[in-house]
Amino acid sequence: MNKPGNLQNGPEPADFRRKLTVVMILICAALSVLMIRLWYLQIIKGDELKQRSENNAVRFRRIQPLRGLIIDRNGMVIVDNRPSFDVLYLPARGVDPDSLLGKLRDIYATKSIDFSPIQPLPRTLKSYLPVRLEKNVGMEKVALVETNSMDLPGVYVDVTPVRLYLDGEVTAPIIGYTGEVSKEELERPEGDYASGDITGKSGIEKALDPYVRGRRGNELVEVNVTGKVIKNLGRIDPVCGANVVLTMDAALQKAAWEAFEGRPGAAVAMDPRDGSILAMVSSPSFDPNLFNSGIAREAWEKLQKDPLKPMSNRAIAGQYPPGSTYKLIVAAAALEEGVITPETRIHCKGSFDLGNRTYRCWRKNGHGPVNLHRALVESCDVYFYTVGKKLGVDRIAHYAKKFGLGDATGIELAHERKGLVPTREWKLARMKEPWQMGETISISIGQGFNLTTPLQLAQAYAALANGGTLWRPRLVQRIEAPQGGVVREYPPEKRGELGLSGETVKLLQQALWGVVNENGGTGYAARIDGADVCGKTGTSQVVGLPQDEQARRRKRIAAFQKDHALFACYAPAKRPEIVVAVVAEHAGGGGAVAAPIARRILKAYFDGKKKERPLEAAARPQTPMPAGN
Amino acid sequence: MFFKYDRRILQNFDRTLFALVMSICAIGVVNIYSTGFSLGENAAPLYVKQLQWIVFGLLFMMVTFFIDYRDINRAAYGIYAFALASLVAVALFGHTANGAQRWISLGVFLFQPSELMKISIILALARYFDDHKSMEPYRLRELWVPFGMVMLPCALILKQPDLGTALMIVLVSASIVLFIGMNWKSILIAVSSLLVLMPLAWHFLKDYQKNRLLTFLSPESDPLGTGYHIIQSMIAIGSGGFLGKGFLKGSQTQLKFLPEQQTDFVFSVFAEEWGFLGGLVLMLIFTSLIIWGLKIALHSKDLLGTIISFGITALIAWQVLINMGMVLGVLPVVGIPLPFISYGGSAVVSLMAAIGLLMNVSVRRFILQR
Repeated sequence: MNKPGNLQNGPEPADFRRKLTVVMILICAALSVLMIRLWYLQIIKGDELKQRSENNAVRFRRIQPLRGLIIDRNGMVIVDNRPSFDVLYLPARGVDPDSLLGKLRDIYATKSIDFSPIQPLPRTLKSYLPVRLEKNVGMEKVALVETNSMDLPGVYVDVTPVRLYLDGEVTAPIIGYTGEVSKEELERPEGDYASGDITGKSGIEKALDPYVRGRRGNELVEVNVTGKVIKNLGRIDPVCGANVVLTMDAALQKAAWEAFEGRPGAAVAMDPRDGSILAMVSSPSFDPNLFNSGIAREAWEKLQKDPLKPMSNRAIAGQYPPGSTYKLIVAAAALEEGVITPETRIHCKGSFDLGNRTYRCWRKNGHGPVNLHRALVESCDVYFYTVGKKLGVDRIAHYAKKFGLGDATGIELAHERKGLVPTREWKLARMKEPWQMGETISISIGQGFNLTTPLQLAQAYAALANGGTLWRPRLVQRIEAPQGGVVREYPPEKRGELGLSGETVKLLQQALWGVVNENGGTGYAARIDGADVCGKTGTSQVVGLPQDEQARRRKRIAAFQKDHALFACYAPAKRPEIVVAVVAEHAGGGGAVAAPIARRILKAYFDGKKKERPLEAAARPQTPMPAGN
Repeated sequence: MFFKYDRRILQNFDRTLFALVMSICAIGVVNIYSTGFSLGENAAPLYVKQLQWIVFGLLFMMVTFFIDYRDINRAAYGIYAFALASLVAVALFGHTANGAQRWISLGVFLFQPSELMKISIILALARYFDDHKSMEPYRLRELWVPFGMVMLPCALILKQPDLGTALMIVLVSASIVLFIGMNWKSILIAVSSLLVLMPLAWHFLKDYQKNRLLTFLSPESDPLGTGYHIIQSMIAIGSGGFLGKGFLKGSQTQLKFLPEQQTDFVFSVFAEEWGFLGGLVLMLIFTSLIIWGLKIALHSKDLLGTIISFGITALIAWQVLINMGMVLGVLPVVGIPLPFISYGGSAVVSLMAAIGLLMNVSVRRFILQR
């Protein structure tokens, strides 16, 4: 016991020595067992296991699930699945892949079909991992591969589900498209993706991907030397994705799309009673079916480089000066703040002077003396210049924000833009310059810094139409399990109240009725007998406001500098059930171009109601999917 | 303040231990290079990352080596508390991968607190038994504080869920307690109550963990699940034969039939490519490392050093035995990595720190003896 000071009491060192010897012996014994096991596996069973490893014909196969359907509010299927036949190659032992591909090309050549592999063969082939040679081939190729399978060891046809977008470009910007999982998604640890999985890339497909995707199955099969399946060893079935029920009305969507006749622009139709989106159009659009089997590079580049940006959803991402549709908000602000009474008359002589600058009214000769009602009906600029100057920019902004402008609406889709409601503070922070009075003048007729998305415009007019409630626009009603039953409900959601007095609301509603139905109203083109349409036109200048008419005309010649036409409306006046906001890009005046488009959409809505659509019968039959084998 | 330089620290530096560990690390990196070979074009090479972790671990090793372990031990409860707090943090807002919530994101990398806990529990137990020395074997009622110290982190780790690490902490702690000395009657009571509690614990296991235990009993029954791992692992090892298929030539590995080949099943890759000879050499290096560690425990000049070095050696020994046993198909599949060989940043760094402690105890027997 000659241990140094620290160890005064405690177990005996001799005790430790004894125990450590036991531990050492135990560990050596255990390791010896492992060494013997290693010897047993590698030496005794070595040959047997080696043989098994060489003929290891056990392959994993992933089975892609069916994505959930996307259905409109009436049960009409908008997005379905269809089978796609792909030609695959599973590298087999002792076969030269290049000569095999040559053989395949020759076999195709007998029927003079081109062999067009989607990718060159990877440098390293893995015997468990099939290479996809061709996607989405026709029945002719399928027959050729099947009948010549003896000459093509390892080549086979596989069936996978791909998306079928029944309405193609009509719904593409909203529904989005699907594609193979990207590298970034694969690396996300929480994603549970495997290469070859199909995911939503944009729109609803992306936003609800976790529900729609379903769960991949897999299969363990034994294959022979040529890669043919001889035995199923085990299988976990894929699980279908859940179905999405939209608030959209597919028929109305189609009518709205057709109303644009290919012109660039956007429209939103919304139920003002709960914020349900009935239709949302963004034109021009793209064909989402192109992406199903991997879009060709040229096609992709063409879409990306198109100056009209067909891939973007203008209804939520297009930001436009609201033009005269903004006068509704200025009017509301002026009434609430007591800047004017409904009777206040302002004389419009066709222009408005501020300092040494002159701001013009759209009607060169002026409107004469006008009150609020006439000013809205005839969209008199000078009236609103005067009122806006009295209000000041910040008071206008306060009301604009109450109407939901300048902020994302919170719709389910990604890439929504916020628009812009300028304030003094904003300008100072952003441009390091103080606010100018002249800018207030522009703001008061919705020009200048103001930016609004078509969806925001619809949301704001819906709030006025329903008497003051701001609803969050919603596209999705609920998620349904494939075998029935609701997975998740998306109830309507109130974002706020306008807080306007009943009198103000009534006055504004009457004025909007006048815009469409009174003599001299700028929205006369939206009139529908018996539907009592209310609305407001707008024309938003793309280039600045030139001083003289001549210069203005000259500018109009260039198509991209032409004004945007806007129209926001609702109907029927008494109990509004639909709001429509239309923006037609570079189309000219709102009354002349946008109002007729809105009219067609409203007409389609009311005609559809009259027909009393039979709900179930209208649903398209679902394409049956062969079980992936 | 902590560090007093002493010429003898470098003079008596444990070269054998260091050489053993570095050779295992080298084998590990070479082996991960081989598994990474087939990962393809887009993946960041794992062997480079492992190499970075080893260098990072060497820094920690220097810290745990140079500061006297008696000074380190003063912070034992602090380190333990930090590890415990990290585990709570993981439970609250940890990073999830493969269905388990085990990591905290530290910006550039993910930190796995359960690995830190493996070392801190050894230090904390060493501190406790050093503070409560007893000539008599401990009785059960004297052990409730260490019992709590072990069970608290275990519960948190089981919740992640990480059966392997929890099992490791229990095994290492139990080894330390048995080594220090426990009353025979108490051992009997503890073991029998464990047997009673086992069916209850079964109830709390996750389905995948139950499956793993069940498929261990008959691997062929579930070729799609864990049975597949064991079968493929045994085929890979067996096909290696006496001399192996050669570096980068393991077909099972290169064709990726082997699951989790860079982590838990890393030994089968090695055995396939380097054969019985390579496998045996690696096993012998591990055996030497373990015996060397026990020798350090034996020669330590104080109880503290003995417990620390014994605990660390037990940690390495248990991991080697269980991992190899599982890969060779003699033990059920529990996720326990092979020390220094399996890929994993937190594990490598904490193991290197542990080796630093071991060398620390080893060198200070020359210094304490004045």
